[in-house]
Amino acid sequence: MAGKRLVMVVSEGTFDKAMESMMIANTAASMGMDVHIFHTFFGLPLLLGNADPKLPGEMAPQTEMMKEKMKSVGAGDYASQKKMAVELGVHLYACSTSMELMGITKEHLTPGVTILGAAGFLNIAADSDMQFFIG
Amino acid sequence: MEKDESLDCKGLMCPMPIVRLAKKMKEMQVGKVLELVVDDPGSKEDVPAWCSRTGNELLGMKQEGNVFFFYIKKKVA
Repeated sequence: MAGKRLVMVVSEGTFDKAMESMMIANTAASMGMDVHIFHTFFGLPLLLGNADPKLPGEMAPQTEMMKEKMKSVGAGDYASQKKMAVELGVHLYACSTSMELMGITKEHLTPGVTILGAAGFLNIAADSDMQFFIG
Repeated sequence: MEKDESLDCKGLMCPMPIVRLAKKMKEMQVGKVLELVVDDPGSKEDVPAWCSRTGNELLGMKQEGNVFFFYIKKKVA
């Protein structure tokens, strides 16, 4: 029944990983699940207010085409998926060490993001039913 | 099949039909029946999964060409 907890670690910040994490999260939240996403290393910049991820490596130039396709099937762009996640009650976490490494401060982050470290996230994950790693 | 409301999600792919379905059902009263119209082929598995996971009742499903019609009764507030 409803109420299962899903935790995700997102450690990459490319368009595919970004969209995948939010699409799974928003579906899970729509199924009544309790969703928590920890953004660390290259996943952290996704929590910047103006994040606009690109496809990886040599596929980067095709990002705009992929974004148009995503829009045409109603999924919108990463910003709209992230906004939806916040509205659906998905918990977004920024890794405090990654913030320090990348020179990102709280003011740069999307409103509603919680800053924590591994212990804080592990405490949430310890009571989870499903654990996904997006990286 | 009898319905109280209808939600047209044709042209939308995962995750949007499920996100819209959940939002719509939240607005409806317990006991009411929603007709969900979708053409995402994944919906054939996704919609029954959503119903069983959320505790709502899937009364029936029919297919016309590439379009699926699901009838879902709201069971939980």
